[in-house]
Amino acid sequence: MSFEDMLADLQAREEKAQAMGGPERLARREAQGVMNARSRIDSFIDEGSWVETGLLAVSSIVPEDRDKTPADGKVAGFAKVDGRTVGVVANDFTTKGASSSATNMKKIGHVKRVATERGFPMVFFGESSGARMPDNMGAKGMGVNLGNDPHQYIRNRESPWASAVLGQCYGSSAWYTCLADFSVFRKGAVMAVASPGLASFAIGQDVEAEDLGGWKLHERVTGLIDRVVDTDEEALEQIKQFLSYMPSNCSELPPTAPVPAGSDDGAARILDILPDSRKRGYDVRKIINCIADSDSFFEFKPRFGRTVAVGLARLDGKTVGFIASNPMGKAGALDVAGCEKATRFTVMCDSFNIPLILLVDTPGFVIGIEGEKQKAPGKIMNFMQALQMCTVPKLSVIMRKTYGQAYLNMGGGRNSDDVVAWPTAEISFMDSHFATEIVTWGQDASEETKQAIREQMDKDSSAYDLAEIYGVQAVISPADTRRYLIQQLEIHQLRLSGGIGKHRMSAWPTTY
Amino acid sequence: MATTEVTSEIIGSVWKIVKSQGDSVAEGEEIMILESMKMEIPVEAPVAGTLMEIKVAPEDSVEEDQVLCLIES
Repeated sequence: MSFEDMLADLQAREEKAQAMGGPERLARREAQGVMNARSRIDSFIDEGSWVETGLLAVSSIVPEDRDKTPADGKVAGFAKVDGRTVGVVANDFTTKGASSSATNMKKIGHVKRVATERGFPMVFFGESSGARMPDNMGAKGMGVNLGNDPHQYIRNRESPWASAVLGQCYGSSAWYTCLADFSVFRKGAVMAVASPGLASFAIGQDVEAEDLGGWKLHERVTGLIDRVVDTDEEALEQIKQFLSYMPSNCSELPPTAPVPAGSDDGAARILDILPDSRKRGYDVRKIINCIADSDSFFEFKPRFGRTVAVGLARLDGKTVGFIASNPMGKAGALDVAGCEKATRFTVMCDSFNIPLILLVDTPGFVIGIEGEKQKAPGKIMNFMQALQMCTVPKLSVIMRKTYGQAYLNMGGGRNSDDVVAWPTAEISFMDSHFATEIVTWGQDASEETKQAIREQMDKDSSAYDLAEIYGVQAVISPADTRRYLIQQLEIHQLRLSGGIGKHRMSAWPTTY
Repeated sequence: MATTEVTSEIIGSVWKIVKSQGDSVAEGEEIMILESMKMEIPVEAPVAGTLMEIKVAPEDSVEEDQVLCLIES
């Protein structure tokens, strides 16, 4: 064969691999407005930056599949996104449902290993039907093929992972999404352990895909998803936005960004948002937007665990993580979902050298049987332990109420590097109304007696009382909060380690 | 013309309705106040427009995601 013929043969093989599952299947997706694996990559990465690995890989288990498995159904490689290197695995659902088999698992393993060892993020575009059959059936399927990689699901958070759920996600697409630091879900997609079909055959449970693993379930009930969007394009954009806050790996500082004009103007508006009445709720996300650089707040899980709002933002151009009580949800009382959300977010920020800012307005923890059934004490301690093990700078702002154990969970009692209070702050073990009922329980106390006790209980619970015993380092006007936090972040920089934390929770789970 | 459903963020009850059917509302303007866990939770207009229908009355119980009113804009 001449060189010319050899190169023509190479080109033909490449074109066949790039054609994925063929023009008919691709056309059907296009008609449905759904992108394919390669168009997702093209849309996501910097133009001309794609370096594919394993383009000519095919099925290595079933000989008849060799011609039907271009790239073995999973497109893998490296690229630049906003000028920074990332590893990408995009499932090609038109090729055997992007099912997992021996060759494509080696491809994923390679990209993950390179991203981890060379220090850049991993991005997964999830859409897969699960393990390929018959490849993985029987003793040889399991003993030789599926999952024979003892490092496949280890997350040590060496570099950030992001995942998009863009279709049916069973098997590896679901697993990698759950292991990711950030996940986004396109409406209409499904993420579950197994398909509704299998649920029907195996356990006789007839369930619609949306009910089994649709966006509402994951956005509101499981909290496994960070954001929900309407289109593939929006999902890819959200991952780019997430990555813009993150360092390429745990040994780097997060990138900085220019400070948008007008960012210093918001803090003066806080008092327009904070109600006069301590009984009136407000959306703490508006306060975050007043403190952070303009338009920089990127919220995680906005409809899960809504007693607390968490998200990345920038303060004076530097990435920070906000954990903020939200009185719009259960009066800001931390519940199980809120604790899970705060724990996961704390671990992520600590693992990637992102300082934490806690905004506090909580009457305590949600009590009652529902929480106890969901292991509330354990969840509270997970969050508490995460906060105490955290080695990135932590700053707390007591806006209004901070009671009991929740005072500690939100950074009080030296659990933050600096605690500052607004004059509106109230600090105590619990609300004086409840405390009075407890101490007069069974005593048939008169209302006058209770009122006297309440007044006694309400004493010494102001911001100034806490300042006198140096329980807070300062009491400031809300309008000074942004400036104060910027100054404190400067003071608390981790100079001895070049800004890099100890990452003591880097191997903690990604789901609680 | 587009119709926007204004939904409850929380489980609670309707404490006070501030606006009336037919009123114009600006984005972020308070329409009603719910009560939940002894807190007053304001319901604000997500878009500017005309308040076409109020589907709840004071003291009604409301569920999370329940439609409270419609805004046409």
